[in-house]
Amino acid sequence: MGLARAGFFLSLLLLWQLLSLRGLPAYVLSPLEIIRDFGAALGSAELYEHAGASLARSLPGFALGTFFGALLGLAAGTARWFDRAFSPAVFASYPVPKIVMLPMFMLWFGIGDLSKVLIIALACFYPVFINAYYGVKATPAILVWSALNMGAGRGAIVGRVVLPSAAPMIFAGMRVSLALSFIVMFAAEMINAGSGLGHLIREAENSLRFDLMYVSLLAVAILGYAGDRLVRFAQRRLLAWQEQPA
Amino acid sequence: MSKLYRVLPFLLFLTVVIIWEAAARSGLWSKLLFPSVASIAYEFGRFLVTPESLHEAWVSLYRALAGFALAAVVGIFVGMLMGRSKLVAGLLDPLFSGTYAVPKLALFPVFIFVFGIGSGSKVALVFLECLYPIVIMSYHGARGVDLVLLWSAQNMGASRAEILRRVVIPATAPYIFAGFRVAVPVAMIVVVITEMVSSADGLGYLVIYSLSSLRTDRMLAVVVAIALLGYLLDKAVVLARDRLIYWEKLDTYYV
Repeated sequence: MGLARAGFFLSLLLLWQLLSLRGLPAYVLSPLEIIRDFGAALGSAELYEHAGASLARSLPGFALGTFFGALLGLAAGTARWFDRAFSPAVFASYPVPKIVMLPMFMLWFGIGDLSKVLIIALACFYPVFINAYYGVKATPAILVWSALNMGAGRGAIVGRVVLPSAAPMIFAGMRVSLALSFIVMFAAEMINAGSGLGHLIREAENSLRFDLMYVSLLAVAILGYAGDRLVRFAQRRLLAWQEQPA
Repeated sequence: MSKLYRVLPFLLFLTVVIIWEAAARSGLWSKLLFPSVASIAYEFGRFLVTPESLHEAWVSLYRALAGFALAAVVGIFVGMLMGRSKLVAGLLDPLFSGTYAVPKLALFPVFIFVFGIGSGSKVALVFLECLYPIVIMSYHGARGVDLVLLWSAQNMGASRAEILRRVVIPATAPYIFAGFRVAVPVAMIVVVITEMVSSADGLGYLVIYSLSSLRTDRMLAVVVAIALLGYLLDKAVVLARDRLIYWEKLDTYYV
């Protein structure tokens, strides 16, 4: 299977490369050209600066959004009055694209990094909140009853029963949030920024530097992939006692 | 007590509106930062009766629905194929799970060159972003069809086509709708973002245009319209699901 898989991908790349021999439009580079350009970009400081600027926006936003998402999601799942007051607002505004608030955030918090970090945090909040909420709701009642029977207090039940039971769902939400954080970061940088990979790709587009366009594309792809792997790695380490979802 | 619970969400909403209005009237900030609720409501009313703005809403809706419909057709097909064939799953699963966390938005500049600056590039990007949740959920659903049901159908002499139509598709449908539920907000997000980044029409463009003309009340009215559209689309999916799929409820927001 592994061999068939590798062969499949290699033949896809080979086909692409062969097509480029026949002459592709200027805006489609061949795999070898992209690798060559990316290698060259790795040797210059420019790529690292833009990638660093992007991460400086997406990571704090992700951390902020997931922290409050998990916290309030757990609160809404465990405290009924908070659930009734707060959850309807979250569920009603969930299908709304949060990026539309970026211009307003720019007016409120300035056009610098703060407005972008906050809009990323807002977008990351939702998946984690919803997953934490449903994770708490899915806690087997029998576990809670047993803990109650054995004399556990409210704090112990939340900390020792509910939180571990909801943790896999929270991690699933974090994976969605991480993907979202990169999308929103990239969008915010394309709309308005002086640095970052989204800005770089806009600049490349405007000056028809196709090589630079693919370099920033590949850089974002690698960052997104690496971040996803990192979250999955953290989940495997932290929740080693739990059955891994297939 | 239960009555109080029912009004709580509205109380929260009302509190936010009152705080906003107080901030608008306090005079501490410019009207640009906190336009009064009344002026936003007025602009929203104007939005609803102006044919031009309704046209922009239609353009955005058309892009979102076109990309979503394409993704639904291709996604269900590919996902179910992956679910029923080990070979296809082995080849495509790493492709989809490997690039899941990669922001497809980064392809937008390339798409502009390939599909043009009009609706083409936006529909293509909506298609690509919506494809993932739909494929993943249909794959998940088609893979998990109860083996006992399949064996029973085979035993009773059902043909492959009959098994597909009467067993596999009904068993996968709840998952497909769960995928739709994830994909619809994604379609709205992508349409609005691409229109904000590069467009001359659509609601996302209207947001940027109102901001550039320093009419934040108008801009927030458009934000309200986008929010309403996203909310109604989600409701439409739920409604369709409840009408079509009565045998199983799968209330998932997540993939």
